[in-house]
Amino acid sequence: MLAISQLYKTYRQASEPSLSGLTIDFPGNIIAGLLGPNGAGKTTTISILCGLVKADSGSVKVLGYDIAEDKEEIKKRIGVVPQSIALYPTLTVTENLEYIGKLYGLTNAAIRQKTGRYLHLFGLEKSAHKAIRHFSGGMKRRANIIAALLHEPRLLILDEPTAGVDVQSRNMILQFLKEYHGQGHSILYTSHLLEEAQQLCNEIAIIDHGKLVVKGNPAELMEKNQCSSLEQVFLHLTGYTVRD
Amino acid sequence: MRKIIATLINEFRLFRKDLAGVALLFLMPLVLTIIMALIQDAPFREYQDIRFDVLWVNKDNGRLAEKMKDGLMSIPQFRLVSSYENKPLDEIKARELVQSGTFKIAIIVPEGITAEVVNSANQVANDMGKRLGAAGKLPERETRSANLEIYFDPVTKQAMKLSLLNALDKQLTKVQAEMIMGRLSDRMNSAGGDSSPSPEFDLQQKMQAVSIKEFSADRQSKVNLNTNSVQHNVPAWAIFGLFFIIIPIAGNTIREREEGSLMRIRLIPGSYFSILFGRLSFYVLLGVAQFYGMLLAGWAILPKLGLPHLYMGQAPLTLLVTAMVIAITATAYGVCIGALFQTPNQALPFGAISIVILSAIGGIWVPVEILPAGLQQLAKVSPLHWALDAINTIFLRNGGLPAVWTNLAILLGFSAVFVTIAGLVESGRQQ
Ligand SMILES: Nc1ncnc2c1ncn2[C@@H]1O[C@H](COP(=O)(O)OP(=O)(O)OP(=O)(O)O)[C@@H](O)[C@H]1O
Ligand SMILES: [Mg+2]
Repeated sequence: MLAISQLYKTYRQASEPSLSGLTIDFPGNIIAGLLGPNGAGKTTTISILCGLVKADSGSVKVLGYDIAEDKEEIKKRIGVVPQSIALYPTLTVTENLEYIGKLYGLTNAAIRQKTGRYLHLFGLEKSAHKAIRHFSGGMKRRANIIAALLHEPRLLILDEPTAGVDVQSRNMILQFLKEYHGQGHSILYTSHLLEEAQQLCNEIAIIDHGKLVVKGNPAELMEKNQCSSLEQVFLHLTGYTVRD
Repeated sequence: MRKIIATLINEFRLFRKDLAGVALLFLMPLVLTIIMALIQDAPFREYQDIRFDVLWVNKDNGRLAEKMKDGLMSIPQFRLVSSYENKPLDEIKARELVQSGTFKIAIIVPEGITAEVVNSANQVANDMGKRLGAAGKLPERETRSANLEIYFDPVTKQAMKLSLLNALDKQLTKVQAEMIMGRLSDRMNSAGGDSSPSPEFDLQQKMQAVSIKEFSADRQSKVNLNTNSVQHNVPAWAIFGLFFIIIPIAGNTIREREEGSLMRIRLIPGSYFSILFGRLSFYVLLGVAQFYGMLLAGWAILPKLGLPHLYMGQAPLTLLVTAMVIAITATAYGVCIGALFQTPNQALPFGAISIVILSAIGGIWVPVEILPAGLQQLAKVSPLHWALDAINTIFLRNGGLPAVWTNLAILLGFSAVFVTIAGLVESGRQQ
């Protein structure tokens, strides 16, 4: 579902590279985790995958399409949940979803049906006509996820979908991701919560300083590094230094 | 097309959430237009039909002074004032009043000026009588020079000065000619010939055989229009107000970028141009609505405040097209400002003040025609200048599309430049 090779990126205002030769390959239909300390380059990688940011060099293939050639084809097939809330705060969640659905070219009926279903699924039915800015943090996160789902993407990419949400919300989100994967879709997600990744992912890649540190099945990685948890593997491989 | 309409609706929803903003966007320019039209009413009249008080001190008490006075009083522009605070004016008081700026102009008719004119009329009559062989002689002496004295307040506008001097000169010539003609006919009569009393010679009528009449250069039009406060201020401030839609446009563009909703849109395939187009259409419609709202105010509200009606030319379709092009230019400028700046705090002051500057050099405040040559050239860099010029062409020169299309092309050129800058900056930002 995803093949990144020798990816380099230095932001214009930045002095240090954000990605320096990142290579990851996630084959098949899986839930993949992209893990790493703050500033490791996770958001940068995702931004390149979905065409928001251009890499300096390297190749990216998403669902078999090359980002340099078929950006629009990729955009049609992926759904992206950004790390920050990407919705109009003054509009209601329904108004937001309606507009996004129309931009994706969905029919009014399809938009209504999907909106109803997902608002129900994510427990936002009662707040359907409330402005996003009056939502709680967890509600915003859930609405942010729904916005990426209306067009039924084959690959769902989530950048820290569970950051700052309570246990109930997180549970709901993780439950949903498993179900969505069960329906034959792929998922790529980033997180700082290693326990969560350990529980959810078929494959994880740990990156640091814009490079791949290790990649594999969580259980195998623990065994290979003789650690009892993914967190220990993580600290063992990326060190104890606090990052920017 | 569906995406464009969806974007239009979405922009409307975003806009509707800020009702106070909507109200202000429409009301403030309206208030501005009305106030400017009222304030500038007097200065505009000064060039046309304002009356000004002229202090009149008559130390002569002869016929010349009387005739001059009658002549000046028949000109509606002047009102002669010969007493102040219930006391007859004297020369010293009159000069004092002008010096202090209480009055703008004083005319002092010196003693003996009638005698002087009579004397020169007698000289002429005697001379002509002699040549015609008539007997007798009217009393005459050597010529002494005499002057009407005029005092102006230093702040008096040149145009006002000239118009008074012209009027005085005309009156003086007329009175002198009348006296000469009168003396001449007296002289002829007293010389004998037929003794039947000749009817009063109507010099006034003879002198009007050839006169001046003003026509409109535009042959077809029946409307003869002078510019006035309403004709200048309503279109000028309507354009100014229309350009202020850059504030919500730039604000929303930046907010969208900051809040992340722009990111959402950029994740959706093949939408960018529909969205841009939908958004621009919304603001163009809004701008046109606002512009017409202000014209409507000029047409409906200002007459109630004692100002003239706004005359809107004879090409309503051209006016609509022009309003749309102006709105497109304003919208493009807003998009450009939104792209150039990172935060509303940077964009809003820049946007607002740049419009004030562009409007000042573009002739919104003061008609470009009365600016120095260098500034007149500078006006050309302001889209507001081309906009106002187009509207003036439609309203005052009764122009249609052929008369304004160069202006419209230039405005669209400005729009293209603004959108291109915005595009370059936005794509640079993605790195
Ligand atoms: N727009 C930008 N301009 C300049 N530098 C940037 C920009 N975005 C990210 N960076 C830098 O690139 C590096 C990687 O950032 P990135 O956001 O990809 O990290 P991350 O792994 O997502 O971190 P976090 O876990 O904190 O979200 C960081 O050093 C960051 O400072
Ligand atoms: Mg991140």
